[in-house]
Amino acid sequence: MSGRLSGVATVFRRELATVVRTPGYGVLAVGLLVALGGLLAAGGGGATGFVPAVVDLLLPTEALVPLVAVVLGYRALLTDAASGELAVIRTYPVRVGEYVAGVLLARTVALVAVVGVPYAVIGVVVWLTAAPDTGIFATHSGVDSPLLYLRFLAFVLLLGAAYVSLAAAVSALAASRRSAIALGVLALVAGVLGGDLVLLRSLAAGASPTTVPVSIALAPNGAFRGLVFEHVIGVAFAPEGGFVATELAVGSLIGWTLLGVAVAGATLAFGRRVDAAIERVRAGIGD
Amino acid sequence: MSEDPVASLSEVARTYGGVRVLDDVSLGFEPGVTAVVGPNGSGKSTLLRILVGSTEPTAGEVRYPGATGPKPIGYLPQRVPFRDGFTARETLAFYARLVDDDPDAALERVGLGDAGDRRVEALSGGMRRLLGIAQAVLGDPSLVVLDEPASGLDPGMRERAFRAAAERADGDTAVVVSSHALDLVDAHADRIVILSRGRVAAAGPLERLLEEHDAADATELYRAVTGAPGATAGDMDTAADDGEGGEESDDAEPDVHVTGVSDR
Repeated sequence: MSGRLSGVATVFRRELATVVRTPGYGVLAVGLLVALGGLLAAGGGGATGFVPAVVDLLLPTEALVPLVAVVLGYRALLTDAASGELAVIRTYPVRVGEYVAGVLLARTVALVAVVGVPYAVIGVVVWLTAAPDTGIFATHSGVDSPLLYLRFLAFVLLLGAAYVSLAAAVSALAASRRSAIALGVLALVAGVLGGDLVLLRSLAAGASPTTVPVSIALAPNGAFRGLVFEHVIGVAFAPEGGFVATELAVGSLIGWTLLGVAVAGATLAFGRRVDAAIERVRAGIGD
Repeated sequence: MSEDPVASLSEVARTYGGVRVLDDVSLGFEPGVTAVVGPNGSGKSTLLRILVGSTEPTAGEVRYPGATGPKPIGYLPQRVPFRDGFTARETLAFYARLVDDDPDAALERVGLGDAGDRRVEALSGGMRRLLGIAQAVLGDPSLVVLDEPASGLDPGMRERAFRAAAERADGDTAVVVSSHALDLVDAHADRIVILSRGRVAAAGPLERLLEEHDAADATELYRAVTGAPGATAGDMDTAADDGEGGEESDDAEPDVHVTGVSDR
């Protein structure tokens, strides 16, 4: 294995071991499963098929998945920085990019387990219990299918990965656990509500409704919702589509993920220099 | 032994919140053991953090003309920072994989061969510090920087920690150690840097400075240079430096045989 991949793999193993040994994440997965099951039972969609189940879960998912992702990521990079272990790690031949990549990959795998497993269980339950028959593998209009639910699950994980990455960026920026929580909540609220509020404001200001499929894709929640409407719910009920620009929405979720990685990496790489520069300015003002 | 510096600081300064904690420090760290001593808050930890690159100076320059290899610098911070939940062996294995070193050999070197399966949080403060020293010397770095390696250790372990550090100081390796343990400085240091209020009050070969100040040992030298009473074996290592808290008490030593320590 090359040096860089070896560095990423070594950090990844350590981070994954940390996640596995944190019982709270298991509790989080169980809690999510109970919440999803409760929502499905209350909504009744799960008894009818995959698409009705997705309709029931769509709105709660937009809040629950970002919340779980932020919980998984808000301390990801803060832990080593706050304990001083990052200073030790940086004396080893591991670049900041490799370290961030290793940590984030492990946290994303954790997301797949903590979020993906409960959603998969819900999907299996729907498959086994829903009537009429949902065992038809097809994607053409008007037909419910497990494949549509798999698409939904893929979009859920894309949304979660974006929030894990953004939460990791928050954890790199935060100076303490308390500030990480505060910044994480801020990022969560801004992500969940911010895009829609900006969209509503632009429409109120006179923006054309024809721009909605583009503008809704810019925020992570809007992109996720648009993709679900376009490729899951719409397949069955509105095959003409037009809810969102698919490439833009997928690119937006990947872009938010990469933005989080970039901010986290830049913060760790240049934070000390920025801190010293601020001190120089302070000293200059003091003199 | 080469006299070329492994690392050097040139007119280094550092402020925190506008308060100057290190000012106009120019030093060369040559192969051998260099002890950095000074009263609490004199800037020892800041100096060491700047030396290893974990803190950026607000002025001046740090260079590493003689620090080579895949891991040129080894560092043990004042607070041993390892993650809970991992055993001592797993902790070292993580670092050893990064430099293709052997974690078990590293544990043996510091006398923790029998404690490899203990979780980090179950180790005493002294054993954690020995684990930190084992980590710092993984990969055979040219510059080993240990911030208070004897802090929180009993007399046997203090000696062992310093000896482990001193054994690393060969013809190409510089070991820089901050400490309040002036008896150990006497026993192991080749050079000494005395900091006072963020400035270098005295620096150079220990023997030369003892002669120049007509001092019998490092404690007398320390008193002569700083005007402060030097630490003794009884009160050393209990204080914090640069605003950081001291280590936990080492009273409750776990029932694990630490090789080469318990017989001293």
